[in-house]
Amino acid sequence: MKIESTFKIKKGLAEMLKGGVIMDVVNAEQAVIAEKSGAVAVMALERIPADIRAEGGVARMSSVETIQEVIDSVSIPVMAKARIGHFVEAQMLESLGIDFIDESEVLTPADDKNHIYKHDIKTPFVNGATDIGEACRRIGEGAAMIRTKGEAGTGNVIEAVKHMRSMTDGINKIKTSDQNELMSLAKEIRAPFDVVKEIHELGKLPVVNFAAGGIATPADAALMMQLGCDGVFVGSGIFKSGDPKERAEAIVIATTNYNDPEKLIEVSKNLGEPMVGINIDDLDEAEKLAKRGW
Amino acid sequence: MKTGVLALQGSFYNHVQSLEFIDQDYVLIKDTTDLSSVNSLILPGGESTSMIKIQENNDLFSAIKKLIESGIPTLGTCAGLILLAKDVIDGETSLGVLNTVVERNAYGRQNQSFEGLVNLLGNKEMYCFIRAPKILSYEDSVTPIATIDNEVVGVIENNIVGLSFHPELTNDKVYLDWLSSFLKDGVNVRSL
Repeated sequence: MKIESTFKIKKGLAEMLKGGVIMDVVNAEQAVIAEKSGAVAVMALERIPADIRAEGGVARMSSVETIQEVIDSVSIPVMAKARIGHFVEAQMLESLGIDFIDESEVLTPADDKNHIYKHDIKTPFVNGATDIGEACRRIGEGAAMIRTKGEAGTGNVIEAVKHMRSMTDGINKIKTSDQNELMSLAKEIRAPFDVVKEIHELGKLPVVNFAAGGIATPADAALMMQLGCDGVFVGSGIFKSGDPKERAEAIVIATTNYNDPEKLIEVSKNLGEPMVGINIDDLDEAEKLAKRGW
Repeated sequence: MKTGVLALQGSFYNHVQSLEFIDQDYVLIKDTTDLSSVNSLILPGGESTSMIKIQENNDLFSAIKKLIESGIPTLGTCAGLILLAKDVIDGETSLGVLNTVVERNAYGRQNQSFEGLVNLLGNKEMYCFIRAPKILSYEDSVTPIATIDNEVVGVIENNIVGLSFHPELTNDKVYLDWLSSFLKDGVNVRSL
């Protein structure tokens, strides 16, 4: 007897990615560099977040050709992004055989109120969250993995740190609450009660939680791991830097050895120029991607 | 003495949880220096390509290979099986200590990943197969210990056990009892 795509199987793939680095790539050549550098998965994109930010316009699911090219070029899992609420893009990614769908605020949202009902799609989903309430809502809709939103395409880790700290505070609050308080707490954070109850019982999120949005250096990756993330996404930080291969390898080693400053120093040598960052205060409110999602 | 859990990447904390259930001391292995007090080993699920890359500059795998060849009980699940296998299709041979031919991702991509009813040492339980490797063939020194629909998905050779699936995501009693006796009384592993 075999049953495909159960929630346990969806969550299970995320468990296998733990301690690893997932890298944004825009073509086969970058995907191969990522795989050879030790990435646990690649995210197939039309444009990396820094370019989406610079060029503007409506950002949509990547072209079928780009996604297919990346799938054909590597043996590790391939992820791709669908717009928030765009369940048809998700259906197409499912049919393309993508291993994980990121319902992402980096793309222009397709629905101003609703996210995708993710239980109906065979492919597992990862969703961004800025706090525990948002994480619970996404898990309630069927997300098998959570990531911080951070502020994608800035090379600035401050928002990812803020979201991770907020998540940890939220988990601790649920964990230490009396069970009589859980319903009121669920109402306060606008979270499904069942998910809140599960977090209370487990003492942690029921799914894997990665860091994303603004990670540009090995030290950034190690910082997010020390803050309690299960792994990291690196978007623009690698292929917008001076030496992508060296930097990709260094971030992979740093994510494994996040508690070992000597190893962090060793891998941080001779990395070339990091991507040029953006101060969050210099962004208009409308330019902040983390505000997308409900 | 402790069970060393390879902790470069992957489901190593899930294996740690299994070890906590059976009160087995453990140490996370990221470097050769972590191996000093280890008398049994677990290689977790994850991405084998990533694990091979992460250890390449510090000779960790050659030290682990020596330990396994000294006869300590060693369990590999999914990517761990790929690391153990002597021949890997669509992948790289690394430790090469288990006389099997294994094909990476042979059950398909994530959409074809499944929970399946496995006969493990005579007991039937649902286990997770996630982009799992397939055991294509094995030498006479290797004995099957797990099957699904008559297909071999787990083997033992002397002190080495390789499984295509993830018992560390299930932690059922039969698996935990087996794990406990395997890690603690490794000399008798063959009779299991």
